[in-house]
Amino acid sequence: MLTEADARTITNKLLGYVTADDAVVFIESEDYSHLRFAANTFLTSGRREGATARVTLWIDKRRGSASTTDLSDAALKQAVADAQTFAKLAPVDVEYLPSLMQQTYRPGQGWVDATARIDLSVRARQIGDAIAQSEKAKVIGAGFHQVGLLAHASATAHGNFHYERGSIASLGMTARTPDGAGSGYFARNHYDVARLDTGRIARESIRRASESKGARMLPAGSYPVILEAQAVADLLDSGGMSFDARNADEGRSVFSLPGGATRVGTPLFDPRINILSDPWRPQLATFIASEEGVPARAMHLVRNGVVESLRYSRFWAQQKSQQPSGPLALVMEPSTPGVSVEDMIKTATRALLVSRFFYIRNVDPRSASVTGLTRDGVWYIENGEIKYPVRNFRFNQSIVLMLGPGNVDAIGVPERVASSEGGVEPVLVPALRLNSFNFTSQSDAI
Amino acid sequence: MIRRDFLKVASTAVGAVTLAPWVIEREAAAAAEVDAVKSAFAEAALTRAKVLGASYADIRINRYRSETIFTRERQVQNVARNQDFGFGVRVLVNGTWGFAASSLVTADEIRRVTTVAVDIARANSRFQRKRVRLAPVEPAVASWKSAFEKDPFDVPLDDKIQFLLAINDTALKTSGVSFVNSSMRWVNEQRFLATSEGSRIEQYLIRGDPQFNVTAVSRATGDFQTRRSLRGPQARGYEYVERFPWQADAQQAAEEAVAKLNAKSVEPGRYDLVIHPTNLWLTIHESAGHSTELDRALWWEADYAGTSFLTPDKAGKLRFGSPLVNIVADRMQPTALATVAYDDDGVPAQRWYLVKDGIFVDWQTSRELAPLIDRAKSYGCTNADSWRSVPFARMPNVSLEPGAQDASLDDLVADVERGILVYGDGSWSIDQQRYNFQFGGQTFWEISKGKIAGMLRDVAYQSRSTDFWGACDGLGGRSTYELNGSFVDGKGEPGQIGVVSHGCPVARFRQINVLNTSVSMT
Repeated sequence: MLTEADARTITNKLLGYVTADDAVVFIESEDYSHLRFAANTFLTSGRREGATARVTLWIDKRRGSASTTDLSDAALKQAVADAQTFAKLAPVDVEYLPSLMQQTYRPGQGWVDATARIDLSVRARQIGDAIAQSEKAKVIGAGFHQVGLLAHASATAHGNFHYERGSIASLGMTARTPDGAGSGYFARNHYDVARLDTGRIARESIRRASESKGARMLPAGSYPVILEAQAVADLLDSGGMSFDARNADEGRSVFSLPGGATRVGTPLFDPRINILSDPWRPQLATFIASEEGVPARAMHLVRNGVVESLRYSRFWAQQKSQQPSGPLALVMEPSTPGVSVEDMIKTATRALLVSRFFYIRNVDPRSASVTGLTRDGVWYIENGEIKYPVRNFRFNQSIVLMLGPGNVDAIGVPERVASSEGGVEPVLVPALRLNSFNFTSQSDAI
Repeated sequence: MIRRDFLKVASTAVGAVTLAPWVIEREAAAAAEVDAVKSAFAEAALTRAKVLGASYADIRINRYRSETIFTRERQVQNVARNQDFGFGVRVLVNGTWGFAASSLVTADEIRRVTTVAVDIARANSRFQRKRVRLAPVEPAVASWKSAFEKDPFDVPLDDKIQFLLAINDTALKTSGVSFVNSSMRWVNEQRFLATSEGSRIEQYLIRGDPQFNVTAVSRATGDFQTRRSLRGPQARGYEYVERFPWQADAQQAAEEAVAKLNAKSVEPGRYDLVIHPTNLWLTIHESAGHSTELDRALWWEADYAGTSFLTPDKAGKLRFGSPLVNIVADRMQPTALATVAYDDDGVPAQRWYLVKDGIFVDWQTSRELAPLIDRAKSYGCTNADSWRSVPFARMPNVSLEPGAQDASLDDLVADVERGILVYGDGSWSIDQQRYNFQFGGQTFWEISKGKIAGMLRDVAYQSRSTDFWGACDGLGGRSTYELNGSFVDGKGEPGQIGVVSHGCPVARFRQINVLNTSVSMT
């Protein structure tokens, strides 16, 4: 993986080859390894190393871009030459803004040396142990362990340079009973491999598989629910509720209002809900600059239920006299003390406990409505106790209305999780107890 | 078996490789320097793997070129060309896989990375429960080029930009249209596979994905509606842009996006559906394509993509659909996205039935999967989306065969008392075992007493895979057959992107559940 010195050398070379009026260059370097298992045996395991250099430049405000994975001088020169060729042929980029001058960056914290030094045999033994636990519990385990080391560097013709690196270790595991009647999932990730409790992940997925066996079919309809943090992350990462300012201003977002206004300043959510972007939260520690070098900002999108701000690209920020937002590091947290999932269950009169959602897709962007399915564990709760497992449902639900005043009953303690469909990008979100969630049909899937 | 006259296969002996023809340009010239030593690099990797104890090894040295152009309204947002070059080495040691890849393509790096792959396999093999066995395959030495006519990388950039801006201009001329985005993406894959069993295979593929999306916004009501282009990506060259009536579709899309603002919101209930190929391809993909993947049925995808309602004991027995339904897997269909000459195991492309006369009859397999159901050979479904990715089982082109009679769309509509005609793919979702699905679309048209009665909106249809295919009682003929597909079919851990086509005729399904998807914010 490229060091800061390596990256600076390459960005300097790229900028040195540029004869255009302006340019931004970006280098992404990775060292990534994985071990995948299923049916209680190892499937694939591998490591990849590489880097990509991308150059975007402007000639008379005409834009061209090229990238290459070959970092030789000849290839870098070729990439610059290609980008310049495209720029000469392109129409004027009416959204051109001069590249950034030197920015000030508050350092990120998402790198741990120990994660970079993970030993192959240690990982093999950890996954071997997960499989052994599965065999002992008479379930069939499948899962995915990955370690990613990533370095980003950006530089501009106007003198900005930024380098940062991040590490991440992750394990997700699905256990199924051999008869296919039960399935459980659990996943966690962390930038510090020492904080990844692989034993807990295996135990949780196995327990859930056993306890979800023999699920009963309930009729579709509106139910009170307790969504575990994983399920909340799955919903929020689905793209159903984008805070993009330009879409809202253009009238094509759930945050648009008739007549051209937006919902900024509107109490759209439960008054205890706060939604933020903050990559410096110690539990998150994600990247703190965008590809073009825009520094991240710690910012509230929703404060005490009121939409406080939307997210701005550089161009739209300039158009609307706002600050560009930089990369998003999603946090949802309550204004009040968080309630544990155990306490949510104990104090529930009637609810369905949902552990994971699957295949979530937008249905109606005007209301941030999505469809998808529950997966790997749903349980019926009555009078403070889990009574029995329940078969899966399809849902159709507006995320905004789900989080709206009157529907949020209790909010948990934020946890670091990642969408089970979206990779390892972490978010910090709580479990939620909701008065109503709209299940529209039954699913036979287990 | 369809004739493969585009395929040139040499003897099975290991020998010099016939390089695919290159376009004359700077990247090609640079790449040619590597091609000259590619075979030598491959020998170095395979020899080292063997010395280190691998019972099988392969190396893929691949170059990917892509060009993307994005526009909105009357401006070009970006023009980009990307070069992605590297190699991946896969080894079997003690029946356990190891893989390593690098973007630095040198002899030293290839030796180092091969050692890494072997080390990974060996470390894991101590804990391995079931040893991998591969179905046999005849080694092949071959060179192949996909069925494109006009290499898009040779077409002047200005032509492409003017094409997209003309689409935008066409749409924007329609009163009520607020925004339009258009783009085109071209991909060229130059694949080289060498295996320790003697295969040496060169493949050169071109694929393209032109598309646009028109948005109509009603500022007064706060409503907005979109209509995307109906055609999907194909394994064609620039002739795909030149021959299809994109401008006419842009005009129609603009009118339909505006019309959707005032269209009647659907009344939920059961309807007969007449589904156009621009929508049905995705339903085939999700319900028939993924459910017949053997790795899913064996729970190999349990942690992410999911398993399948089809299990090994159901092949040849389970009624998947009505007797009209014949679904075929095909990696040889010209212009289809998953068409190749050989897969990434070195297995030749094939065509076979997955569903015959409504009965589920067969699986998608790879060399690793086939022995697990006692099959002597693989159907050749192994693929990796990059040199940096581990090859694994991916979907071939999966298509619904047209009806024996050459029925038209109007013929199918004529026999519907109360129904909906669906065009274009919209929202899509299906459960992890491929039972329960819900699909939207781009435009919906009410059918009343055998006639189109007007536009509907807020429509999604929801069903269970076998119920849905069992309700198929009408198929269009060959003249209604179209090929559509996806550039972004996700599967696997680490996640990989697949490209796949699905052909089908227009088809009719009786009494399918239809939802109204609109939600009031007030």
